[in-house]
Amino acid sequence: MSGFPMSPAESAGQLVPTDVYRPESGERDESIQADGRPVPAWEEFFESYQRHGKSGLREWREVAMRISRDRGLAYRPDRGEGPHWSLDPVPWVFSPEDWQGIENGVAQLIRLASAVLADLYGEQTLLDRGVIPASVVLGHRGFLRALHDCPPGDRVIGLGMSAFDLARSPGGVTHVLNGRFDCPYGLGVALENRTVVNRVLPNLFRRCRVRRIGYFFNEWFDYLAERSPSGSPDSRIVILDSDSGSENSEIGFLANYCGITRVLPSDLTVRNGTVSLKALSGLMPVDVIWKVTHGRDLDPLEANWRWTAEGVPGIFEAIRRGTVAVASHPGAEVLQSPGFFPFLPQLCRELLGEELILPPVKTWWCGDPVSRRHVLDNLSGMVIKSVGHHGDFRTRYGQRLSTAELADLRARIEAHPDQFVGQEQLQISTVPASIEGELVPRGAVLRTFCFLDGKGTPHVMPGGLGRVSTAEGVIISTRESGESKDIWVRSHAPDAPISIERRLEKSKVISPEVVPSRRGENLYWAGRYGERTDAIVRFANRLVNGRTAGFSYGRDLEFRHEKTLVEALFRLFEADSLLEGIDSPDERLALVLADPDCPAGIRANLGSFHRASMAAREEWSLTSILAIESARSRWFNGTSLQFESPYRYEDALNNLALNLAAFHGLNLDSMTRDEAWGLLDAGSRIERMSILVSLLAFVLEVDEPAPMGTLLSESVLFVSDSLGTYQTKFHSVPRTGYALRLLLSEEDYPRSLRYLLERLDSVLRKVERPERQAVPRERIVPMKKELMAFLEKLGEGEVFGGEERRAALVFLESMQVRLNDLHDYLTTTYFSHAGYHG
Amino acid sequence: MSMVRYRIRHRTAYSYSGRIDLYHSLAHLRPREDEGQETLAHHIEVVPEPKIRAERRDSFGNITNYFSIEQSHDFLEVIATTTVLRPDLIPWLPESGIAWNELQVDPKEKDNSGVRLGNFLFPTPAFPSFASVESFVKPSLIPGRGVLDLSREIMERIYREFKYDPGATDTGTPLEAVMAQKAGVCQDFAHVMIAALRSVGVPARYVSGYLETLPPPGQKKLQGADASHAWVEVWTPESGWAGFDPTNNLLPAGRHVKIAHGRDYFDVQPLKGIFLGTGMQSLFVQVDVERM
Repeated sequence: MSGFPMSPAESAGQLVPTDVYRPESGERDESIQADGRPVPAWEEFFESYQRHGKSGLREWREVAMRISRDRGLAYRPDRGEGPHWSLDPVPWVFSPEDWQGIENGVAQLIRLASAVLADLYGEQTLLDRGVIPASVVLGHRGFLRALHDCPPGDRVIGLGMSAFDLARSPGGVTHVLNGRFDCPYGLGVALENRTVVNRVLPNLFRRCRVRRIGYFFNEWFDYLAERSPSGSPDSRIVILDSDSGSENSEIGFLANYCGITRVLPSDLTVRNGTVSLKALSGLMPVDVIWKVTHGRDLDPLEANWRWTAEGVPGIFEAIRRGTVAVASHPGAEVLQSPGFFPFLPQLCRELLGEELILPPVKTWWCGDPVSRRHVLDNLSGMVIKSVGHHGDFRTRYGQRLSTAELADLRARIEAHPDQFVGQEQLQISTVPASIEGELVPRGAVLRTFCFLDGKGTPHVMPGGLGRVSTAEGVIISTRESGESKDIWVRSHAPDAPISIERRLEKSKVISPEVVPSRRGENLYWAGRYGERTDAIVRFANRLVNGRTAGFSYGRDLEFRHEKTLVEALFRLFEADSLLEGIDSPDERLALVLADPDCPAGIRANLGSFHRASMAAREEWSLTSILAIESARSRWFNGTSLQFESPYRYEDALNNLALNLAAFHGLNLDSMTRDEAWGLLDAGSRIERMSILVSLLAFVLEVDEPAPMGTLLSESVLFVSDSLGTYQTKFHSVPRTGYALRLLLSEEDYPRSLRYLLERLDSVLRKVERPERQAVPRERIVPMKKELMAFLEKLGEGEVFGGEERRAALVFLESMQVRLNDLHDYLTTTYFSHAGYHG
Repeated sequence: MSMVRYRIRHRTAYSYSGRIDLYHSLAHLRPREDEGQETLAHHIEVVPEPKIRAERRDSFGNITNYFSIEQSHDFLEVIATTTVLRPDLIPWLPESGIAWNELQVDPKEKDNSGVRLGNFLFPTPAFPSFASVESFVKPSLIPGRGVLDLSREIMERIYREFKYDPGATDTGTPLEAVMAQKAGVCQDFAHVMIAALRSVGVPARYVSGYLETLPPPGQKKLQGADASHAWVEVWTPESGWAGFDPTNNLLPAGRHVKIAHGRDYFDVQPLKGIFLGTGMQSLFVQVDVERM
């Protein structure tokens, strides 16, 4: 099928062979006309596809996957909240004329929605006059009575970034399926898709003269900056994500792309009636909040029902005082009620004096007796939705319901008819989708994004998010997952390429270089867990080596050695109690290698490392993200929860060690030496010292004579990643005295306590804030002094006498106490990690 | 009409095991002044001194007080002292009026205080569904029965069938759980009654206030014997809003002092606060309603 390359001119008007792409008969397809010829806007696509064929399709997908992964956009369907829309690289193409119609319709819709919102939080004349049934508004969970005194206007933003889902019926009419005004999902995905597809199909992209979407973001930030209540040109804008969405890569990507810091509700605090960002450097006032979290969850103080204290308490008071602008209005969700749909044409005439351009999908409000009858008479063909969006009713598709379920639904509607609408189940047009190596027609929905600027002028993104159903059939819901598409809006003249990163002025936003305290805390923990996992991997390596190769000490001794080493490991992380009653060596190894929750095991610590790192994903280079993701996924997917033969772990352990080493190396190599790096490094050094000190204390306590003592010392050196260095330096079998000297006193050795303390002293200067009484080095200087005093007394001998041993144990104990103290100090000084409590 | 004057002292104290750096609070402690009730004096004392205080009106016309405390503290005290004058009504139930099954309420219609009835007809986030009360209310749904007669019976049935048990629920207990265990406190009983009435299309609202308690005959009233209280008001086209106290099977009259009303408890919580800091809190509430 890839047999006939031809230029676009030659291909124009040619039939698309049915073995290349065949839309379902009787359904409308966006790319093929009724006579079998491609829609003109799609000609270049089919020409290119015919040239590359199915193998090309597969290659596009593979390239798309690789680019996503390499850019750290990898979709992670195995965990995290919310829907995941993986990318189908086949774009959805619109001609300039076709798009103009959509743009006009969307521009009208956002103007209309804005006028309705202003009325609902203002005079409510629409309710008085009965243009909208009061039950649609007053019964909706998103109508926030707390903001009854904050109508949208000069001081309060009405609609911010909004979205409309559109689909075309077989007759070619574009319908509105949904409006999203509270925190529309998908803008980040649309950006990601564009970034990737642009690189998968660069030539096609160029030839189609696809309009750029970067301008739209610039205009958006211009608008946000303009809304700053401070009126200062240096407005401080943040993007506010939800606490639970910390794994949501789409918002992280959006923030990175726009060069704006992503904050969570717990990063913000309201003091003196104004909103501030809790940053490592102190409180930083915030002027404008681009909220991508639900408005009804925003202020737990004034929310009607919330008992968890997430959100930003006091923020509604700040909005009332006009000290902060929040986009969208937190009460905008009410507009998402499908109960508005039947009334849109009338609303449009009343409020705008215009005829509605894009009709909504046919909707009947059951509060109206005639409409109710229609819905009940046609229930099995209807989609039934709750007008109030209360959590106990999920949308039902009549055709999927049994007779009993239909009867139940009917009873519910009849009991509270004004709380339900019935919607026609729209047949929607299809687009070509690449599914399992084939180009097949799939029903598709277009999500468009738009906002109104300060002058009331609508801005519609020339692009958007296409979503196709992967299964046959056309029901597409944001809650479910599926495939997404880049939207190509063609133009007659090419736009100049634009990258927002270059244009966005620093002064407009709080840049990602400002480190919120929470991110700082996650970095610190990423450092600690990374180092901890590293140490456990070396422990595990040593244990596995003992089983597979042995150490030539004889079985009995090695058996005892393994037992002691496991105990040392568990004591390190205060997990000794887990070993009680477990005598089988395999079961003990299983705790380390396979158990998901053991605090001395790999899985739990690797999981914590990954979580902490990803909660600070702004800090990492794309390669670092790759190392973090790869460390986790290779271990989690490559090893089983069932303990297997030790041989099975050798490769996995080596790979994990390599990935972690890559992560540490990349940090050394590519991170700016700022306060974020300081906390990451401090976390890692403190963990390393803490492990070292405990480990040395353990060896001194068990005080085994040779040969067991020698083997244990060797293991301690191995676990401290110092066996090679020791052998080079001392040319002897491991002896406790030498080992102790190497690990405590060696001046330029990154594994020695002396070096680590020096290093910690210097990195923590990055976060020193004397004006806030934040001076960590005041805690470190005494540690250094104590170490030097101890080293002076330490003899040159290869073994330890009783007195020396006791002195060393006292010293190590004191160091451990001081390290814990330092940890507490950093935590309380920098992270104020306490949440809100209601 | 004879009037009765009350002096009410409502003290709330929190003590914390750790330091609190920031505390935001929203109070519904100042009584409404309508329906013949008048506030002669009102004062809210907060220790430590708030950085910001703002008195506003909510969408139901209740008076709210927002304050934030921004100095480090481990003890917080809020004392609301109020003198109100209210009519010493005789408990009286108006004519039962229109039958519940014939009542057609236009949700956009406003009550005598200008608030739309639709606010009091629908589920709220606290009870997103009426399903759990439907079987409870069913036996009382005799067609033709007047709305107020129905309300009175539901009040009586809650009083009879539910056990007053402060240990059974807390403010986060969902309605389904209250219905399942048939036990709770005044807030729960008010919610049950509201949901029951709304489930058949009768507007019902939550009232927060105080109830003067009377000591046993011959004994002196104990200090702090009173408490915050909650009851219900039901709307009919003939009589407007009429009160029902399902906790005591009483029609609220002179001894009930109203602070605020809303859709449910969460709209009118007397003192809601959110703090930033570490540690556990312990709460102490003391209410005295004194007839002067």
